[in-house]
Amino acid sequence: MYRFLFRTVYTARKSSACVYEACVLPAKCDKAAVFRFANGGGLKALSTSSVSLCEKKDNVASSTEDEKTVAEKEVDPTETPTLVTQKAEDDSTVMKMEEQREEEPMVLKTGDESTTQQEDVKIEQVEATPPEVNTVEAKSGKDSLLDILGGMKVDVTSKRKLRSLKPRQSHDSTHQSKPAAMESTISMFQKATEEASSQSETLDPQLVAAASAAASTLPDSIQAESDLLRQLRQHKAVSEAQKKGDMNNLGDIIAHMKVGKNPDRRLSTRPANQIQFDDDGPGYTHDRGINTELYSARRKKIYMSGKRLNIFSSTTDEDGVESTVARPTLWDVELANELSLSSKQTHRNGLEEMIEWTKEGRMWQYPVNNEVGLEEEASVPFHEHIFLEKHLQEGFPRQGPVRHFMELVLAGLSKNPYLTVQQKREHISWFRDYFHQKEDVLKEADVYLN
Amino acid sequence: MAAPGRHVGHYIQRNSRLLLNNFEQLWSPRNFGWTSALRQQAAEANKEPPDTIVIPRKKTWSKEAVLEALSSTVGRDPTAYPYNFQDDPFLSPRTMNEFKMYSLSQESGKSAAKFFINNNPKYFTRDFAEPHIPCLMPETVSLLLEDVSEEALKERINLRKVTAAVEMYDQLLQSGTTISMETTYDLLDLICLYCDRDPVEEGGAQTEEMEEPGEEVRRGRGKVRWASDFVKFSWKENNNAERIFNLLPERDTRCYSALIRGMVKHGAHAKAFSMYTDLLNNRLTADVHIFNALVTAAPDVRDKYNERWDLIAELLSQMNQQKVQPNLSTFNSVLKALRRCGSLAKTQAIHTLNEMKAMGIAPSLASYDHILNAFSKAASSSGAVNTDILQEVMSELEGKSFTCQDPDDVLFFSTAMRICLNNKDLELGYRVYNLVEHGENWRLLGAFYHQGIFYRRFFNLLCMMEHIDVVLTWYRKLVPSLYYPNHQGLKDLLQALDTDGRLDLLPTIWKDIRALGHDNKSELVEELLMLMARDKHSAEVQEAFAACALDIKSVSEGDMRKNTMEWSTSSLSNITSLLLRADKTQAAWETLKLFKSKNRVPEEPLLEDFLSVCCSDGSPQRAVMLVQLSAAFCLSATPKLAKRTLAEFNLTEKQRAVLSELECTGESSG
Repeated sequence: MYRFLFRTVYTARKSSACVYEACVLPAKCDKAAVFRFANGGGLKALSTSSVSLCEKKDNVASSTEDEKTVAEKEVDPTETPTLVTQKAEDDSTVMKMEEQREEEPMVLKTGDESTTQQEDVKIEQVEATPPEVNTVEAKSGKDSLLDILGGMKVDVTSKRKLRSLKPRQSHDSTHQSKPAAMESTISMFQKATEEASSQSETLDPQLVAAASAAASTLPDSIQAESDLLRQLRQHKAVSEAQKKGDMNNLGDIIAHMKVGKNPDRRLSTRPANQIQFDDDGPGYTHDRGINTELYSARRKKIYMSGKRLNIFSSTTDEDGVESTVARPTLWDVELANELSLSSKQTHRNGLEEMIEWTKEGRMWQYPVNNEVGLEEEASVPFHEHIFLEKHLQEGFPRQGPVRHFMELVLAGLSKNPYLTVQQKREHISWFRDYFHQKEDVLKEADVYLN
Repeated sequence: MAAPGRHVGHYIQRNSRLLLNNFEQLWSPRNFGWTSALRQQAAEANKEPPDTIVIPRKKTWSKEAVLEALSSTVGRDPTAYPYNFQDDPFLSPRTMNEFKMYSLSQESGKSAAKFFINNNPKYFTRDFAEPHIPCLMPETVSLLLEDVSEEALKERINLRKVTAAVEMYDQLLQSGTTISMETTYDLLDLICLYCDRDPVEEGGAQTEEMEEPGEEVRRGRGKVRWASDFVKFSWKENNNAERIFNLLPERDTRCYSALIRGMVKHGAHAKAFSMYTDLLNNRLTADVHIFNALVTAAPDVRDKYNERWDLIAELLSQMNQQKVQPNLSTFNSVLKALRRCGSLAKTQAIHTLNEMKAMGIAPSLASYDHILNAFSKAASSSGAVNTDILQEVMSELEGKSFTCQDPDDVLFFSTAMRICLNNKDLELGYRVYNLVEHGENWRLLGAFYHQGIFYRRFFNLLCMMEHIDVVLTWYRKLVPSLYYPNHQGLKDLLQALDTDGRLDLLPTIWKDIRALGHDNKSELVEELLMLMARDKHSAEVQEAFAACALDIKSVSEGDMRKNTMEWSTSSLSNITSLLLRADKTQAAWETLKLFKSKNRVPEEPLLEDFLSVCCSDGSPQRAVMLVQLSAAFCLSATPKLAKRTLAEFNLTEKQRAVLSELECTGESSG
C-alpha cells in the first residue's frame, strides 16, 4: 500500500524527491511514540527507502519484528513521520533491517545510533509505533529524533543535489482530520486502494499476532492490543468505504495536494517546510510547468515585497496641480516626440495605415455615429431647427393668409435636414422683406392683417 | 370580416393559460441547466432596491474607432512581407540589410518631398482638398518677420533657429526692449536643448523621421537618431545660454532648470551640480526636472559605488525637504543610475521600486528593464544568472498593456528575452513573448534593430529547447515577416534539425537560405552540406539532397556579381558524394573536375566511393579517367585505385596499359 502510494506520489511530483508521510496518533494513544530506525546499510540504500518498506512487506513471514512493524504501520494512523527518500536507482538493493527497538528506554539510544550513522549518509526510515507510553523520555526522544532527522536531511541534501528531503511533522492537535486526509490520499490511487483494502480486508491472523506481540512489549498489554486491533478494524472499514464511494473526490484531493518547496534548502530543517496533503489555501509545487501561477505567487514574496527607501512622504496634491497648469515646455515637446518615435512601428496592415491618415487628417473619417458631418451644426441644438415660430414674432401679421402661408413655410423648413439654422433664418427673413415690400398691395386687397 | 379575427382573439384569450403553461414547461428544462449559484445571484440581484437606476454614460468614440476595430481583426499577415513594402514587389526585402535600406529610402523619399514642399511654398499654393487638409499644405519653415521685436524672437524660437534667436535677443537687449519672462524661458530652453547650435535639419525633431540621404550611411542602426543626435555636442564654457543667464536681472528656478538640464544632457555634469549649489545659495527651491537631471548625472561625478548611491539618496531627501513630488522619470533615472552602482544596485533597485509603488507611481517597462539589468549584471559576476527576478517581474506584468512612457521602455523586451536565453528557460520565454503579443505591447518592441534582437533571441531559445516541429511552426510564423535570421540563426536551426533527426527538411531550409541571401556564407553552406552528406538516407531523400547540392553548386558558380563563396575541400567532396549517392554520376564527375579548377585535392575515400559507383554502373572508361585524375593530383592512393580498377573492370588493352603504367609510377614514387 505504501509502496504504491509513494510510487504514485513520486510519479506525480517528479521533482519532489522525497515524501514524508504522516499518520496520526489515535486519540487514545498519547503523543509519546517510540521511534525505530530501520537503518538500511549499503551504498545505494539512501535512495531506496520505499523499497525498504516493500522489502519489509515481502519479508513478512521471515521476521516477526518486521511483520510487527508492517502491521503497525499499515494499521495505525499513528503519528508516524515516515521519512522516505525516493529514488529508484536500484530497486533490488537489499535492505537489511536493523534490529528493531520498541521499548521506550531504547529510543534515545536509537537516536544516538542514528546520529552516528548519519555520517555515512544512509537511508532513514522512521516509524512510530503507538504504544501507550506516556513517559517524558519518549517525548524528548521524539524531539531529539526530529532534530536528528533535520540534521540528517541537511547532510543528505548536500550530497544529493537534486533530491531533497522534507521533514514532516504531524500535528498532534489534528487527530481527527488527519486520518481522514490520510485515508483520502490513499484512496486517490486505485491501485493503492486495492492493495490497501486487500491487505486490510481480512484481519490477517498474522497481523493480529503481530499486533499482540507488539502490545505485549508494552506495560499495559491488553489495553494496547485491543487498541491496536480496533484501529486495524477501523482502518479496514474506512478503506473499504473509500474503495466504494470516495473515488469521486480524487480530483479534489489531487488538486489540493501541495508539495512545499523550500527556497533555501539549508534552512529546511524547520518543520514549517513540509509536504502537506491538506486542502486549505493555495499550494505550491516544484513543477513550474504544472502550476506556474502558484509558483510565481510564491516567488513574489522574495523580491518585490519588503522595504522601500522611506525617503518620500506620501503624496500631497498641491504640486501636481501646479505642474499641470504650466504650459508644455520645449523639453516636454521633445520628450513626447522621443516617446512617439520610439514606439512608432511600421504598419502591420492597410487599416493601420488608414488610422494614421485619419489622425493626420488626410482621410475621410469613418462614421462612428449618426451625427457625422455635423461639424458646423454640432453646437446647434435640435429645437433651433424644429421650432421656428419665434421667427414669426416680428414682421409678420398675426393672422390671415400671409400668416397661414408662413406657417406652412415653417413646417417645411422644420422638416428640412439639409439647411443650417442660419439658412432657415435667412429664408424666413427673405419672406419678411418680401411681404414688407408688398405691404401696400396686400393691404389694398385687405389680406394683410396686423 | 371581423368575425373570424374576433374568434381567433377569443380563442387565444381562452387558451392563454394553457399556452403560458406550455411555455413555462418549455423554459423550465432550460433553467435546470443553470447552476444553483447563478440562481442565487439572480435572487440577490432582485433583492436590491430598485430605485438606483444608473444611466449609462454616453459612449464617445474616437474617429479611428471603426478602423481600429477592423484592424484588430486583421492583425499581421505572417505569410507576407511587411505591409509597407507591399506596394512594390521589387521592394520586397529579403534580408535585414535590404529591409533597412528600403525602409530608409522610403522615409528619405518622403522627407525629401516634404523638404522640397516646405522650402518652395510658392509652387504649392493650390488647395485641392475640400474641406481643407492642413497637413498637405507646406509648413512655414522660413522666417517671415524681419523687424526687431519680441514677436520675431518668438517666431525664431518656434522655428528652432537657435543662432538667429540669440542674435535677435541681443539686438533686442541693445535696443533696450524688455523681454517677457516667458520668452526668455523659451529661449533658454531652446539654447540648452540644442547646446547652442542649430539643429541639424530645419524642423529638426519636430518632423518625424526626418532623414537626410547622407545620414543613412552613418547611421547603421535604424531610427535611433534621437539618441545620437544631440549628445555629440558638448557643453561649452560660457556659451550663449550661460551668457544670457548671467545677463538676466533676476533668475528663478525655471532658468536654473533649463541650464541644469542642458548641462546634464550635454555632458557638463560637474557644472550642473555647481549650478545647483548656486541655486540653493540663492534661496530658491529646485523643481522636479532639476532633480531628475541631477540624479542622472550623479554617477558621473562620483567614483565609488557607495558614494554614488549616497549622492542619489541625498538628492532624493533634498527633494523631499523641498516638497518636490517625484515623477516616473525621477525613479527611472534613479534606477538607471543604480545600474552604475555595482553591487548596491540589487537591493537599492528593489527598494526604489517599492518606494515608487508606495508613492503611487506605476513603474513603466523601463523601470523593470533597469532592475533586470541590475540583477543580471550582479549575477553575471557571480556566475549563475537566475530567473527569479524575471519570474517575479513577469508575474507582475502579465496581462497588462503598456504605453510608451520612457524612451528606455523599448529595451525591456529584448533584455527579458536575453535573460530567458541565457538561462535557457523556454517557458519564461513564452511568457515574455505572450506579453509582447498582448494588446498593443508589440509597439514597445522598439525600432527594427531592437525588434530583430528580440526575435533573434526568442528564435535561438526555441532552436535550443523546443521540439523541431514547434520550432518550424514558429519559423514559418516569424520568418520573414518579422525576423530576418542571420546565418548564425540559421545554423541554430540546422542544428535543431540535426538534433531531432529531421534532416530531410534540409532542402526546404536551403531554399529559405537562398531567399534570405545567405547562400554566400560559406560557413553556413558547409554546415548544410556536411549535414546532408553525413548519413545515408532513403532514396527519395537522397534524390532531394542531390538536387539541393546541385542547386548549391549552381548558385555559387552562376552568381558572378556577388562575392562568390570560397569552395572548401570538404564541401566539394560532400557535394560529390551526395550526387554519387543519388546516382548522378555525370554531375558528380563534373564536380570532381571542379577540384582541379578550385585548387583543391579530393580525399581518398571519396575516390574509392566513386570507383565503386563506376563499378556498379559498369563504366570502365570513367574508372580509368578517375584513376588518371587521381594520378594528376599525385595522390598516394593512385596505385591502389589502379589495381582495383584492373581487377574489377573489363578493360581494353589500351586502358590496361595506361592503368598499369599508373600503378607502377605510383608505386615507384610512393
